[in-house]
Amino acid sequence: MFRFRKRQSEHTRIGQIHRLGLFATLQPKELRVVNGLLHERRYLKGEVIFDEGEEGQALYIVFGGKVLICQQGEPETGRIAEVGEGSMFGELALLDDSPRSAQARVAEDCLLAALSRADFNDLVETHAVIASKIALQLARELGQKLREHFVAMDARPL
Amino acid sequence: MNRTYLASGPLVWIATIAITTLLLVASAKALFLAVPFLFAIILYYILYPVVRRLEMSGISRETAAALVAGGVSLLAVAVMIPTVPWLVGQSVSSEEALGRYLEGGRVLIDRTLEALESQFGFLKRMDFRAEVGRKADEFGSTFMKAQLAPALLQAAMQLPAVLLAPFLAFFLLRDGRRFLRMIASAVPNAFFERTVYMFDRVHQTARNYFQGLLKHAVVDAALYTLGLWLIGISGALILGIVAALLAWIPLIGSALACIMIVLAAATEFPSDPWVVYASVGMFLFVRFLDAFVIMPLTVGRSIQMHPLPTVLMLFIGGTVAGVPGLVLALPIAGVVSKVVETVGAIIDDPRLHARHRFAKLLDAKRINVDLRL
Repeated sequence: MFRFRKRQSEHTRIGQIHRLGLFATLQPKELRVVNGLLHERRYLKGEVIFDEGEEGQALYIVFGGKVLICQQGEPETGRIAEVGEGSMFGELALLDDSPRSAQARVAEDCLLAALSRADFNDLVETHAVIASKIALQLARELGQKLREHFVAMDARPL
Repeated sequence: MNRTYLASGPLVWIATIAITTLLLVASAKALFLAVPFLFAIILYYILYPVVRRLEMSGISRETAAALVAGGVSLLAVAVMIPTVPWLVGQSVSSEEALGRYLEGGRVLIDRTLEALESQFGFLKRMDFRAEVGRKADEFGSTFMKAQLAPALLQAAMQLPAVLLAPFLAFFLLRDGRRFLRMIASAVPNAFFERTVYMFDRVHQTARNYFQGLLKHAVVDAALYTLGLWLIGISGALILGIVAALLAWIPLIGSALACIMIVLAAATEFPSDPWVVYASVGMFLFVRFLDAFVIMPLTVGRSIQMHPLPTVLMLFIGGTVAGVPGLVLALPIAGVVSKVVETVGAIIDDPRLHARHRFAKLLDAKRINVDLRL
């Protein structure tokens, strides 16, 4: 019974991961490998996930709840974005150990999955195909964000 | 708010040395557990890439670990079936062979002293050669009983424990990552990223050290074998492998390997001292290559510790736990230093503690939400 439940929960989670842009191109067996690397974390509303300036070690996927990305210590006035279920944040931590560019706080009690840079680097060495697919998707997502940023800059009144 | 992830300074050194010493003392007390665990870790790092490859071909981690560990166990049994009877046969003549090697060494010393006495008259007047000869005979007769037999007995006593290594390696391969995830899941959110970072540093250090050590042994064994074969000493392969493995014991390993090679050369070519000199020259050349080329390219700076505490740890390891202490001192010190540096930085970070306290308050508020009077 417990085994069945475990498999069912793994199946559900793999489905959730597959819907994320970063892992959209992965095959089921590749998703299972990635799922094996994820750390599940539960956070309460108001909790700080990471601070601005902190060395990033992991990317986070929101499985439930909402996360607020804001300027350090200014959740009300310094809102940058809100990340909901099925989205992710902190993805730059996969690339290097540069400081976090903003603070992440929990807007609603949430369930997150964290993929650490160490595990991603391990993936690059042992499962190069999976890692290259993730890296390609990451590059696409960053490119998209960059384009959106430029569009927003152009639209901003002078 | 850019904070450091690593602590440094004298406190980190002191804590590293103190914890490593305690672990070495514990290892010496529980050698039956420390030895198979060490072998299991070495096996783990050898087999880890194979398990990952099998996983990628669609096999689950559990099955891959079972297949690889089972395969290694079968291979070990297949090797042992013909090897054990051969070793038993060899052991009958091993005492005789050792006596022959010691005699070879004694003859070498005798001839060298004879040459020295012919050069320096005062040595002849002191009857130096005869005196040394008597001491060498004394040593030869007592060495077997007092030193070698107990050492071999102790090594033989560790053999059943070593057989545990494949089982431990199997569980490390199958559940290692799950075990780390379980530990990480018990860590409060505020310290989560630091913990993951610490695990990675520990893993990298251990992996670099043990895989480096293996590569180092392979290259050393090849060089010794080639050198001994060129000189013309028989059994070059066995001698080369043993000399390379002895190099795993810091400080005394190289000396033992040199003595072994000299004895082998002196026994095989008793009337030709130049073979002995060539063997010593070859040994020194390989040590030189080892220190300046092979070691930096293999084990290198995997431990990433300052030379001062490194040497200190070797002496402490040798003092508190003998030869196993010498072998274990560096990997244990390397891993402990990574843990101490990261934990030190966590302890030293008030913001992390504040975040943790805040999270606990939030949790308490959630738990007590309907319990207000």
